[in-house]
Amino acid sequence: MSGTALALRAALRAEWTKQRTITGPAWLLMAVIAFTVAISVAAMAATGCPAGISCPVDTTRLSLTGVQFGQAVVAILAVLAVCNEYSTGMIRMTLAAMPRRSVVLAAKTCVSSGLAVAASAVAVVACVLAARLMLPDHGFTAARGFPLTSLADPGTLRAAIGSVLYLGLIALLSAGVAAIVRDPAVAIGAVLALLYVFPVVAAFVGNPLWHNRIERYSPMAGLNIQATTGLHGLPITPWAGLGVLAAWAGAAILGGGLVLKVRDA
Amino acid sequence: MEATIEVDGVRKRFGHAVALDGMTFTVQPGLVTGFVGPNGAGKSTTMRVILGLDAPDEGQALVSGQRYQELPHPMRYLGSLLDAGALQASRSARNHLLWLAYSQGLPASRVTEVVQQAGLIDVVKRKAGGFSLGMRQRLGIAAAMLGDPAILMLDEPFNGLDPDGIVWMRGFLRSLARQGRAVLVSSHLMSELQDTADHLVIVGRGKVIADTSVADLVAAASGNRVTLRTAAVSDAMAALERAGAVAIASGPDTVTISGLPSQRVVTALGADGVQFSEVSAHRATLEQAYMEITRDAVEFRAEPAPEVAR
Amino acid sequence: MTSDMATSSTTGGLLGRPGAVAGASRPRLGQLVRSEWVKFWSVRGWVIGMIVAALLTVLLGVFAAGNASIGCQTSPNGPRLTGKACTPPVPLGPGGEPVTDSFYFVRQPLAGNGSITVRVTSLTGVHATGNGQAQAAQNPLAGMTKGVVPWSKAGILIATGTRVGSAYAAMLVTGSHGVRMQYNYTHDAAGLPGTVSAAAPRWLRLTRSGDLITGYDSADGKHWTVVGTARLTGLPSTVQAGMFVTSPLYTHMQPFFGGSSAQVGPSQATGVFDRVSLRGTWPAASWTGDNVGGGKYSPGTGIGGFHRVGVSFTVTGSGDIAPIVPGAAAGVPTTTFEQPLAGVFAGLIAIVVVAAMFMTAEYRRGLIRVTLAASPRRGRVLAAKAVVVGLAAFVVGLVASTFAIWLGLPREQNGGLVLLPVRLLTEARVIVGTAALVAVTAVLAVALGAILRRSAAAVTAAIVVIVLPYLLSVTVLPASVAAWVLRLTPAAGFAIEQSIPRYPQVDSIYSPVGGYYPLPAWAGFAVLCGYATVALVVALVLIRRRDA
Repeated sequence: MSGTALALRAALRAEWTKQRTITGPAWLLMAVIAFTVAISVAAMAATGCPAGISCPVDTTRLSLTGVQFGQAVVAILAVLAVCNEYSTGMIRMTLAAMPRRSVVLAAKTCVSSGLAVAASAVAVVACVLAARLMLPDHGFTAARGFPLTSLADPGTLRAAIGSVLYLGLIALLSAGVAAIVRDPAVAIGAVLALLYVFPVVAAFVGNPLWHNRIERYSPMAGLNIQATTGLHGLPITPWAGLGVLAAWAGAAILGGGLVLKVRDA
Repeated sequence: MEATIEVDGVRKRFGHAVALDGMTFTVQPGLVTGFVGPNGAGKSTTMRVILGLDAPDEGQALVSGQRYQELPHPMRYLGSLLDAGALQASRSARNHLLWLAYSQGLPASRVTEVVQQAGLIDVVKRKAGGFSLGMRQRLGIAAAMLGDPAILMLDEPFNGLDPDGIVWMRGFLRSLARQGRAVLVSSHLMSELQDTADHLVIVGRGKVIADTSVADLVAAASGNRVTLRTAAVSDAMAALERAGAVAIASGPDTVTISGLPSQRVVTALGADGVQFSEVSAHRATLEQAYMEITRDAVEFRAEPAPEVAR
Repeated sequence: MTSDMATSSTTGGLLGRPGAVAGASRPRLGQLVRSEWVKFWSVRGWVIGMIVAALLTVLLGVFAAGNASIGCQTSPNGPRLTGKACTPPVPLGPGGEPVTDSFYFVRQPLAGNGSITVRVTSLTGVHATGNGQAQAAQNPLAGMTKGVVPWSKAGILIATGTRVGSAYAAMLVTGSHGVRMQYNYTHDAAGLPGTVSAAAPRWLRLTRSGDLITGYDSADGKHWTVVGTARLTGLPSTVQAGMFVTSPLYTHMQPFFGGSSAQVGPSQATGVFDRVSLRGTWPAASWTGDNVGGGKYSPGTGIGGFHRVGVSFTVTGSGDIAPIVPGAAAGVPTTTFEQPLAGVFAGLIAIVVVAAMFMTAEYRRGLIRVTLAASPRRGRVLAAKAVVVGLAAFVVGLVASTFAIWLGLPREQNGGLVLLPVRLLTEARVIVGTAALVAVTAVLAVALGAILRRSAAAVTAAIVVIVLPYLLSVTVLPASVAAWVLRLTPAAGFAIEQSIPRYPQVDSIYSPVGGYYPLPAWAGFAVLCGYATVALVVALVLIRRRDA
């Protein structure tokens, strides 16, 4: 095994030990699941399809609404994994133990996005199950063109897997931003601004060119992966949208790695 | 591969403040090297440069002939303690050591060993955030010993220790040196190193003022002065001047002699048959020696450069 | 507060007796505010954060405003135009507000005082199917379905003239809002309920006496009730009076998840009148039909007409006589005074970060122990922090929203949008209210910081409770759910930015992006203040009970 692979393996083990030996991450992971499922359930409970009218509702997307909320908690998890070390000064011990900084950042982001993916997989499956239980009672029946939400349906499967990947990428984005700005409050503010401000501004921009650009190229374009109906009306195709988020996350990690490398610890 | 730290011409600025201005010294195996200077002299910055935490503007620092960053599992070569308070409060002491062990490819059993060594067995399951400063220092020492390194580098390890702890720390550092390890210990109080250090690197304003063994330093500062107590002051002075010494009457029955070691003072007085009640060689304390050395560089003490906020 | 400040100035002696200094060991709030203010401005990052907040607010607002332009094509093969060239002429009502004024008017002049009485026996109509397909220009009625729009109008009207934007008063029956008396576009009063039919006709009467016009309705032509009076100042001696029919754009909001499902299309109404009775001097003695404002201001107009069979008049019209409201239903691209405040969301995030850090920084390095040693009354420390952050955020919000509107509005108007003007007092309320919104949010963030003691958690909580509900409301939530979200969450506070009132007599897509909130301005703001107060109280209890 090469030196880098060895170093990465040790770093992964160390970072994983760090995450599992404090209680914060465990609580946050439970919060990711709880909030994602709770908001999805609330959204489904509030939406109905009264008899007699057609409902152009993407039920899969509806059942995954909570991801928009869960991502904020995923962002906290990833930001804290990086920033807590700066606020305590432990980063110097970490870097003394593992002087190859790119390896440290890689290990950190792997561990936090791995945790995010694990938690979101649980949350997404729970959302789909909740959709199976709830939606038929709200008028979304097979007779009216809404088959029972199922992971066997390729569209729903893509939305589910995509949502899990989306949250994993949000963790990467957050860790990268955190490595750049180092302060947890500023980092979380920056991440949430990146996620939430673009769609709000897009709603105010009347110019269709710019409206479309913002919808296509902002990080939340990744949520288009949740669409299962009306794919032609999307600002960007599902996988391309996820690709946009991946590009943002990659840029953040790259920036974070660069800053970590050149800056004194 | 010899266990050494070589710091060679390291310069480092933080904005306008010059932190290191050509810092150069070597730490040898088998010795406790004291790294002494006032606050802001550049001790911590030097240590951060050695650990690759801060990048030097010029010069380099090598650990056993290699840059620290290039060492695979560096804590197996050099164990360090920079800031004992720098840990996440909610993690238990044992788990803190555990992630460090894993980062060096070491098994969990190694944690148990260093915990015993540092005398932390009873508290190892407690959250590190609740530790007193002294316990945190011990935890830091345990972390530094994890990789059983040939070199140890400790920044102000006596800070916050109670008298028992200071005695323990001195013995511990001595035993490390006896085992052939190279030990670099920084302090801003020379007295802390009195009975511990073999070698001293004294720094001020980012560079080395003196790099010397403790014995040489003390001898130099003592200046070979001898104090003589006698009833026959004038006879004694005449005899000593004949033997080539400079003798000054410093009291009704005392003479201060320089230029002649105490043994030869006794011989000279005996040859002339001068009666005396006491001959004592004057020995400077390390603290005095330090003051002597830095006297010429008054600015180092009078107005220490502001500590660079980190 | 004033007396506190006065006392504080007498306790600062350097050489006082020890007892005298000890007497000052309980710092007054004024002193604490001063010391917290020093803490605030002496951290460069926080000052930068406040400046960033202001810049984000202004720049994003101006960016959104600058890209709000409309485009148009004057002829099928003509050049594509953008901006002001595309702004349709918009009539202004007597109050100076932009109005829609298009209807079919069967009229004759009335000299001096007099009255007109009619019986309406039918109001029917057709409207777009609402599937969103644009109607062919040649035949606007192609593909329409039968049905009368709720605010279709048929009735009698007295106006200063047939110029669009004229002052008027009208008695009318509607599709589903019963009999109304309306005048000068914005005024509306309800008369008899129920829909009109041959079995249940509605009698309407308008009498003019000088400037005063009185509207009556009756179910049988015998028993009359006054619905309302309108004083149209400066009404000329000869006015135009007669029957009118109009029908506004069909709008339909479907509770639809994942995007707006607003459906807007033209509609047309037909009213049948008889028993026309005129009192006073009617010099022309014959009826003239006019398409007032026809075809120019609203799609689907210009297709009116009337025919008379004996004593019965059948009048068909399309359009509306109403104030223009934001949103697609107006048929005119509009903007509102508060539209350039889109950047406030970004600014809020920066303010929340600074405000939360101002509190949590105390915990991070144990500074709180120094602070509480200096002033052991913990409640006052919290209050002082809230005051300092609140005031700083208020100033930043005031400056930023003023600049955003000042720079943004001209850009929106250059982009071809019609600004719906509001009174100066309303403009002041929008700007000061936005500043207050920012300030209260900052106080909420301070309280959350004291409760959670972790900056990341506090910042996330503050952003998630105020920005996320708004975001979900404007993007994915169905309108009915969004309305509740904007009533119950701290995001209700954005209502303070609403400048255009919601006219019950105009059906439109009343969405937050259009500038409409479910709660009145101050009520929404009160909800936010309620959350901030609760958070402060919880913080107070915790900060007193917990060990520092």
